Amino acid sequence: MKRFLNLLKKEIKELVTIQLVVSLAFTIILFNFIGQVSRKEVQKAIGVQTISALDLDGSTSSQAILTGLESARFKIERIEGKSKEQAIDIARGGESKLLLVIPSGFGDSLKDLKPSQIETYSYMRSFSLIGARGQVVVRGVISALNNVLSDNFLREKLPGLDPASLKNPIKSKDFVIVQKRMAEASASDVAGMVSSQSLLIPVVLMMIIIYSSQMVISAVAMEKQNKTLETLLTVPIRRTSIITAKMFAAGLVGLISAGIYMFGFKSFMGGIGGDDLRAASSQAGAVMRQLGLYFDTTGYIVLGAALFLAILVALAMAMILGVLAEDFRSAQNMIMPLMFMVMIPYFISLFADINTVSLPVKIFILAIPFSHPFLVSQNLYLGNYGLIFGGLAYMLVVFTVLVVFAARVFSTDRILTMKLRFGKKKTAVA
Amino acid sequence: MDNVLTVRGLKKSYGKQMALAGIDFEVRPGEVFALIGPNGAGKTTTLRIIATLLTPTDGTISFLNHDLHKEPDFVREKISYLPEEAGAYKNMKGLDYLHFMANFYARTPEEEKAFVDRAVEITELGDRLKTKVGTYSKGMTRKILLARALMTKPVLAILDEPTSGLDVLNALEVREIVRRYVKEGTSVLLSSHNMLEIEFLSDRVALIDKGRILDSGTPDELKEKHQAKNMEEVFRSSLR
Repeated sequence: MKRFLNLLKKEIKELVTIQLVVSLAFTIILFNFIGQVSRKEVQKAIGVQTISALDLDGSTSSQAILTGLESARFKIERIEGKSKEQAIDIARGGESKLLLVIPSGFGDSLKDLKPSQIETYSYMRSFSLIGARGQVVVRGVISALNNVLSDNFLREKLPGLDPASLKNPIKSKDFVIVQKRMAEASASDVAGMVSSQSLLIPVVLMMIIIYSSQMVISAVAMEKQNKTLETLLTVPIRRTSIITAKMFAAGLVGLISAGIYMFGFKSFMGGIGGDDLRAASSQAGAVMRQLGLYFDTTGYIVLGAALFLAILVALAMAMILGVLAEDFRSAQNMIMPLMFMVMIPYFISLFADINTVSLPVKIFILAIPFSHPFLVSQNLYLGNYGLIFGGLAYMLVVFTVLVVFAARVFSTDRILTMKLRFGKKKTAVA
Repeated sequence: MDNVLTVRGLKKSYGKQMALAGIDFEVRPGEVFALIGPNGAGKTTTLRIIATLLTPTDGTISFLNHDLHKEPDFVREKISYLPEEAGAYKNMKGLDYLHFMANFYARTPEEEKAFVDRAVEITELGDRLKTKVGTYSKGMTRKILLARALMTKPVLAILDEPTSGLDVLNALEVREIVRRYVKEGTSVLLSSHNMLEIEFLSDRVALIDKGRILDSGTPDELKEKHQAKNMEEVFRSSLR
């Protein structure tokens, strides 16, 4: 144990370099900074925005539109006594992103029940989605006014009838059923919420696997490149302890690094989402809870176990790939097969449903050990416990086979003679 | 007194390529035994097998009357191996590297300190041991690696080309260190293609070529047998 701890301490020290600490600190600062900037922009967009308005009509109806906009937290800069062309130039010089032109005769057309037209001129001062929000709100206000006007007309012409029922005689009430639970929501909304809930799983998995695997592959390759491996293999420590120490150190540092990255990522996303997103999340959360589409303690334990096993499999694979790497440079290429093995299930889970793909594709996906953590959340929601525990058992078997193989490689000549040069055959070197 | 190491019929092949075609030799307590021969003769393969890094294809190796193949953990406790192109962890300070290595062998903190103190004495690097190994010259790195190999007073030190790539003065220092520590009881198995070095260091020598031992004995015995003035002439003569 003393020897194992001695080696583990050395492995962790080798991995936790100043460069890594600086890079992690920089990432947190950067994510936080971007999150804060985005938050300010969102607040600016949600907050009071200026709209220029040229009211050439001056009727009660045109006034109602402008008042409606003011009540939707817009600041209206009224341009008085100018032509349309002059108003376009004036607004261009100002800060407003939208010019609203209400033509003369607008109110009269409405009274005569003729279609009336409002012109909007958007000044694209940036191409961010948040910047284009002004026009969306104007459309919302006009749509609301259309409703009010048409409701008034219907009440006048057909007294005693509900205008809303007349305009939409067929109404739909959407329900979603998941197993035995039911809630009032649309299927597309629920699918969207489930996908956003499990959005972090593949990101976390990708990050940890990339970090930890890279570290293990590099740790073995660096021992080879720096000519320290031969000495290490002749000191009195078991070969399995060497493997375990390297895997444990890389897994630990990888987990901490990924955790720090996720913390930064969360503060970035929190910055963008702001209070509105949190409010929406609480409403969506109620629907999800009603449908049982959330993780309880058991769910988190199962998900954690799947992530942990996936990391172990990745580390064991990385250990074997590290043995094949000749030096640090070739170790960089060795990570590619692992990356593909993580990316394939990730992209398939984005675009396809594992339950509906053809059998050969399904077998292919399930054969990749990293597919199972992606499928755990969906299977937990749908109660497919057979698939979940089958997946966990499969990952455990793959991990055991890989570790036994890695231990064999480390216990035999192969640790020194196995090499993979790209474009060349495996060679044995004396 | 029993031999420290007894090698009989040692063979090693990499696929179809035969690296060792059956060699026999032994290392006695407190002696320096040298394998000399050209590049590719099988010296490094022999040392790597004895250092428990490679598995022999055939033959037996007895270390302190223990089967090396069956009890590699016992062997690793008692030997130290200095590969030809060995390196140390570049991000570690010299002193930390010595502590790290000593920790594998020491049973108590006092023993670890004694190992490191001995290594510090061997290296004669003083305060430079407080700086990172990555900043050391080739000579300094070789000295710290040699100190690492000798600090535990192993029963058998296996040194592969111990002065490889060193200048004259550094090579001389390394040879003197080896000689000094042999007097303290460590047996040494070394390899070299530097015949003059072998003559200076070794008690007994085996001439090896193409995986076979051509001849063995003390340098004086071999010179007399081959009517040669030095080991280079012995080697040329034994090749004929």
